[in-house]
Amino acid sequence: MKALVVDDSNTMRAVLRRILSMRGFEVAEAKHGVDALDVLTKGEVPDVALVDWNMPEMNGLELVTEIRKRPQYEQMRIMMVTTETGIKEVQSALNAGATDYLMKPFNSMQVEEKLALLGLIANV
Amino acid sequence: MSKQFCTFVLDRLLFGIEVEKVQEVIRYQEMTPVLTAPDSIAGLMNLRGQIVTAVDLRRRMGLPKNEEGGLPMNVVICTSEGAVSLLVDRIGEVVETEPETFESLPDSVRGEVRQTTTGVYKLEHGLLHVLNLGATLDGIVTSGGSPRTMAAA
Amino acid sequence: MYGHANNVLQCAAWQNEIMPRVEPSEKIMDGMDEIFIEFLNEANEVLDKFDRDMVELENDPSSRALLDQIFRGIHTIKGTSGVLGLDKLVSISHCGENLLSKMREGEILLTPDLTTVLLTMSDALRQILGCIAQSGTEGDGEFSALVESITAATEGRKAKRATARKPRKTAARKKSSVGSDAAAKNTAPPAATMVAEPAPDPVPAAKPKRKQESPAGEIKTQSEPPAESQVSSIRVDVGLLDKLMNLVGELVLARNQIMQFTTADNGTAMSAAVQRLNLITAELQRGVMKTRMQPIGTIWNKLPRLLRDVARGCGKDVELNMDGAETELDRTILEAIKDPLTHIIRNAVDHGIEPPAVRVQGGKNPAGLLTLKAYHEGGKVNIEISDDGAGINTEAVKQKAIERNLVSPAEAQRLSERELYNLLFQPGFSTAKEVTNISGRGVGMDVVKSNISKIGGTIDLQSTPGHGTTLKIKIPLTLAIVPALIVTSASNRFAISQVNLVELVRLEGAAALSAIEFIHNSPFYRLRGTLLPIVYLDRQLTGFDDRGGSHRDVITIVVLQADDRLFGLVVDEVKDSEEIVVKPLGNLLKEQKCFAGATIMGDGRVALILDVMGLAHKAEVLGEQRSRTNSTAVQKAEVKAQLDEWLLVKAGRKHHLAIPLARVDRLEEMATSRLEWSGSQLVVQYRGEIVPVISVAETLGFSVGQELPPVVAVVVVSWKGRRFGLLVEKISDVVQAQITIDKARQSQYLKGSAVIDKRVVDVLDIDGIIANTCSMVEELETAVGQGGR
Repeated sequence: MKALVVDDSNTMRAVLRRILSMRGFEVAEAKHGVDALDVLTKGEVPDVALVDWNMPEMNGLELVTEIRKRPQYEQMRIMMVTTETGIKEVQSALNAGATDYLMKPFNSMQVEEKLALLGLIANV
Repeated sequence: MSKQFCTFVLDRLLFGIEVEKVQEVIRYQEMTPVLTAPDSIAGLMNLRGQIVTAVDLRRRMGLPKNEEGGLPMNVVICTSEGAVSLLVDRIGEVVETEPETFESLPDSVRGEVRQTTTGVYKLEHGLLHVLNLGATLDGIVTSGGSPRTMAAA
Repeated sequence: MYGHANNVLQCAAWQNEIMPRVEPSEKIMDGMDEIFIEFLNEANEVLDKFDRDMVELENDPSSRALLDQIFRGIHTIKGTSGVLGLDKLVSISHCGENLLSKMREGEILLTPDLTTVLLTMSDALRQILGCIAQSGTEGDGEFSALVESITAATEGRKAKRATARKPRKTAARKKSSVGSDAAAKNTAPPAATMVAEPAPDPVPAAKPKRKQESPAGEIKTQSEPPAESQVSSIRVDVGLLDKLMNLVGELVLARNQIMQFTTADNGTAMSAAVQRLNLITAELQRGVMKTRMQPIGTIWNKLPRLLRDVARGCGKDVELNMDGAETELDRTILEAIKDPLTHIIRNAVDHGIEPPAVRVQGGKNPAGLLTLKAYHEGGKVNIEISDDGAGINTEAVKQKAIERNLVSPAEAQRLSERELYNLLFQPGFSTAKEVTNISGRGVGMDVVKSNISKIGGTIDLQSTPGHGTTLKIKIPLTLAIVPALIVTSASNRFAISQVNLVELVRLEGAAALSAIEFIHNSPFYRLRGTLLPIVYLDRQLTGFDDRGGSHRDVITIVVLQADDRLFGLVVDEVKDSEEIVVKPLGNLLKEQKCFAGATIMGDGRVALILDVMGLAHKAEVLGEQRSRTNSTAVQKAEVKAQLDEWLLVKAGRKHHLAIPLARVDRLEEMATSRLEWSGSQLVVQYRGEIVPVISVAETLGFSVGQELPPVVAVVVVSWKGRRFGLLVEKISDVVQAQITIDKARQSQYLKGSAVIDKRVVDVLDIDGIIANTCSMVEELETAVGQGGR
């Protein structure tokens, strides 16, 4: 399994990398939307992208929209990682093509539950 | 509690330093003199890449020059500020002392020797003067004997 | 870098929430540590950037991009600290985020007080980060007052007691600026703390589920697969870098030793290998040094914030311009210049830049401009700090210097501008009318200067009244391994850092014999017309003042720069130039001001590194009284060419006499017994020729037939290709002046009188004096010629 973590915070990427790699994921990282598109074109298509909402250059919502424009990433699941809490925000993320969302702050259990829901790992 | 001392001879007096303070004992090495430093600084030497200041203990204690000839030995001490070497005439054995044999200095001991020793242990064959390391080294920086530059006046 | 591993692990929340499924094995612990260190680094960086952006936003309040960046920074801190279970950080940053969010929506406009509130918040966050780094916990800091003032600002009301917080929604619509003075007035500590009781309306889904340990069996043991790395840089522990630097130092040393053994046999396989070792070592050394280099921007980053606080503190408006932030310096040096730089900037704002009203009156922009510039030049880094303020009031400096007894009133009048500025760096000097909050902290420019000197740097000040002041700092790039010149003196080797080296002068034979001149017993060498004070290294070291030592067959002068002055160091021999590894001297040698450290030479022996500043001080070539003459002389080359140089002499007790220095070949002090009579003419044997000596006092008719003192001064001049000695009582000074000669006192021997350096002096007509004695000279010549046959 491969995952792409898109977040402008080094810490957040490190945390997610740790949790994901504990569950056997190969993890690639990107610092923002533009970086993520670059990583995607250069590497293999990951099974899941965990995308932060608020980032410089290109934010999470824009990134999701961009990714969904490209058919080669159709199978890729996208999980928005966000503190934007309103139903409106979550809805707009889902509308843009996100598969699911993860609320900050989270712990490893919550991440795993979400990954299980997406069918990427066995049930916790 | 008995204590172990690394002993050395200086002008026929037997001195001791607590074993745990001694880093090593090495033969005399060539030194680079520090001309402006107080007399009791013998110079600088290279101890495996580390620069160590050597103290001429005879001069520090106001004892006469060693007339017997022969090169002094280095007793390398670890201090909080790094290693310092003490130049002594000869190295003695490691001596175990018993606390009840300790006494303060006899009145006959005067001058710098008095300043730089804490007391004596009465050994079977004589007295072991316990070197007061702190006072010995501090004295160099504070009063330390006349710096050679005095001649400049 | 940050605290101890064990401490960091005390953050129980992290262990429980992020790693609930694992037994804390060593490896995982390491991983968690890394994340914490990453977090601390990141959060601190974010906050530094936050400060900068806030200050910038204050200048450009309409910048949406800036506001977004600021918001994102705090948002990141909230998010990451939430994940790591750091509740205090979460609650404070959450409040800040709310406030910033309102600002983004345009509901609240930025005011200076609001900026202050937000900056105070970033300080609080930093403080907590500091606690985490030190103790692994968020500490017991109390931030309820802060939280209240942030909340109050968000709700557009004045800060009240924290307990009386109203529901946010009702207050939120109110106009914003009311809350602006909240921070200032909110001095009463509120009853409840925000930390104990989390922010109202926290993120609903954010409540962490505190799940406890799960079976450990599920750990995947396979190692983390290295995904294609997107990260081209890593963080390295500074301690490790220091250790590497030391090791490279040792390697350089070993290389030097090996090089010495193999210089003899050229062309062998061994020497080829050594050559390779040499190149690789040099390359490695450069590489490791580079890892320790950091852009000066890392310390400049804090300055906008500092500047803002200082400027606000003294009611001034200052803009900051930074140029060359990418200029790199060794981190130890960066560390060392941090405080001096801060101090200089405080000073510039406090003393340099005028209050807005005064500036407007003077036709300037009400906001002052402070410019920082950094650039590499000749292996050094230059840092310039300029302000467009009032400049330095030289009269005030003089007054102060006199009050402080640094100079006498008479001396003060004679000081050149540059010397005057140098007074500012004297201990205890301060031109502020009163001790202000900002820079009156007992630390003066003298400390700044000594800190800069400690790292081998120099500081120079230029000021134009009404237009501002520029401080120029020159510092070496690195301290650990320095190129040095190896010299010998008093049978020892010494290293001199090439940072201080200006040039080498070697004099042989006749030149060596007469190279050194004496004025007032102080030796000088004339370097291209400039009198260079001379220091004999052996005398300084051994303390023996052996005047005879100046007569050497070969004289080697190392011209050095200490401060902004030059002096010549006479050594026995110049050996080599070599890269040396600087090692500190032990505690016992702390007082040895002549030495900056020691190094180990290729042969394994220790050599001392000379402290050029310390040596100059010891030899008093920079001393107050002396410095005037010297500095005038030394600076001569730099000063405008139209100034003439004058030698001031005394003859006949009452008189100040001036001789154009351009006419002077040499200055000699000699025992009167060396003077001989040849017929009626006084002569001296001088460099193999007989030189007629003319008593200036007698010629001018002051003291005919008077007994000469045991030592006299002779000014050697040339006239029509011959040498003549002018006998005077004393050589007083060398000065630079543009003078007008008043011909009222013109005579056979005087060109007239003039005012030089506020003294009335008679200007000698050398040609006139010599011509008068010419007949006698001719007699003499005949006599000598006959003797020679």
